[in-house]
Amino acid sequence: MRLLLSSLLLSFCCSAVAAQNEPASHWLERLSSALRTLNFTTSFVVVKNNQAEPYHWVHGVNDAGLELEIFSLLNGPRRDILRQGEIVSYISPEQPPYSIKSQHLSSPIPSLLRHNLDILLPNYNFISVGRSRVLGRPAQLIRIESKDEHRYGHWLWLDQTTGLLLKLALVSKQGELLEQVQFTHLDITTTLSDSLKKLETTELPAQIDLPQGIDEKEISWKVSWLPRGFKQIKASKHRVPIIKNSVGFMLFNDGLVDVSVYVNSTQTKQRKVEHVNDGATLVLNQVKNGVEISVVGQIPFETAQAIANSVVLTASPSS
Amino acid sequence: MTESKLENVSSLIDGYQVDDKVLEEMANDSQLSDTWERYHVVSSVLRNEAPDTLDFDLSEQIFSAIADEPTILAPQTKPTFIRTMSAKVVQFAKPIGQMAIAASAAGLMVMGVQQTNVADNEILPAQVIQTNPLGGFAEPVSYNYQPNTQKAQQQAYMEQQRRFQALLLDHQQQVKFSASQKSASEKVLNAVEDKDSSQ
Repeated sequence: MRLLLSSLLLSFCCSAVAAQNEPASHWLERLSSALRTLNFTTSFVVVKNNQAEPYHWVHGVNDAGLELEIFSLLNGPRRDILRQGEIVSYISPEQPPYSIKSQHLSSPIPSLLRHNLDILLPNYNFISVGRSRVLGRPAQLIRIESKDEHRYGHWLWLDQTTGLLLKLALVSKQGELLEQVQFTHLDITTTLSDSLKKLETTELPAQIDLPQGIDEKEISWKVSWLPRGFKQIKASKHRVPIIKNSVGFMLFNDGLVDVSVYVNSTQTKQRKVEHVNDGATLVLNQVKNGVEISVVGQIPFETAQAIANSVVLTASPSS
Repeated sequence: MTESKLENVSSLIDGYQVDDKVLEEMANDSQLSDTWERYHVVSSVLRNEAPDTLDFDLSEQIFSAIADEPTILAPQTKPTFIRTMSAKVVQFAKPIGQMAIAASAAGLMVMGVQQTNVADNEILPAQVIQTNPLGGFAEPVSYNYQPNTQKAQQQAYMEQQRRFQALLLDHQQQVKFSASQKSASEKVLNAVEDKDSSQ
């Protein structure tokens, strides 16, 4: 009898472990397919810097198979992102509305989640952690953890039935919660919602031509150290308000995280390292021997500092 | 201790009328009076009126303090002449004191007027700051004087915050633009594939 009981218990344990051990990558595949194919209307709140920003997010696929999507910030001046297939429009008070052709859309939800996350495998581990209850639904917690200490971890709580995102958190290696996105409402429908039907027939703002990146030769500096997996996406020279001289700029990306590096000459001779955090996003700025170096991105201070220190001038930057 | 007795204690705390007999019983029964004390502590905690440190044995302390107090058998007497002397001094000092108070009140009023005048004058330089934040103006001579370095520090701080803001906005803008040029993740994926195929 005792044997039977213990074997029963054992089998229970095994099945529980098996359910938990459903590979994390399988969950992430379900998430990306759900984000691309389902019609859903949802609301979420971005919590950072002791503040909450509420958003409304609608996604759907029309009869022609075209993806339609709307993100709107609900507090303050209107900031909307509209998407019809690969045409993404940004509407904000700072500049006239514009559209760009893009597979990615810059919102509080990393757009990579819609795509194949396998590109992260060289630098991140996917870990299925366990079940919990989020937004009144049974949820599975999946952690995307960096293999080194130079990056933050992304924790995703996914709906057990649909695979959709219910909560997202950025967590430091020390387990400190830096920023989180909590969904407050989720409706999955079989047909397009009214707002998407309207978007379907709306003419989006005109597409703009983007300033092309400049030739590598024109850049008089390079970044000699970056965490593994970061690749240069873009290099350019442009102006940033407040900074008097034009800045040399490079954008790096490891698939999940974007890091910007700015280098310019300045009148100031020295300024020691200053930094500020906007949720998980760090802005670092320093002046060394008349060269101002800034690093911006969702990375820890030590990483940003190491990147800034690794900037090597190949010729004196022109002002 | 029976339930009914405890109930009596709690109804007494709630302000209901209780028999004198019950009161007497409570006073004599140490267990019941302890309960009475505890109930009061509980109710004051519930009402957020509890002191920072809970001293449960106040009555004991008062008892021991009274016990320690030396017993005074007769009231102390003071020589009477000192009393009359002091009374005379008071009489003499009183009118002058009153005048002094009146004078100082007038002084206060005068100072008050001056103060408001100073405040009015100060509004002008403040308006100058608003329209022309970087321009200098005469330092007001007052004890509110801020040394130049402190102002420079404040300005440097403001500049630093603006710089951070500008960099953050530019980063966000660049990320929006970059996605379209060549999908960031595709580029990384290609790099990974290149590496895999070369191996």
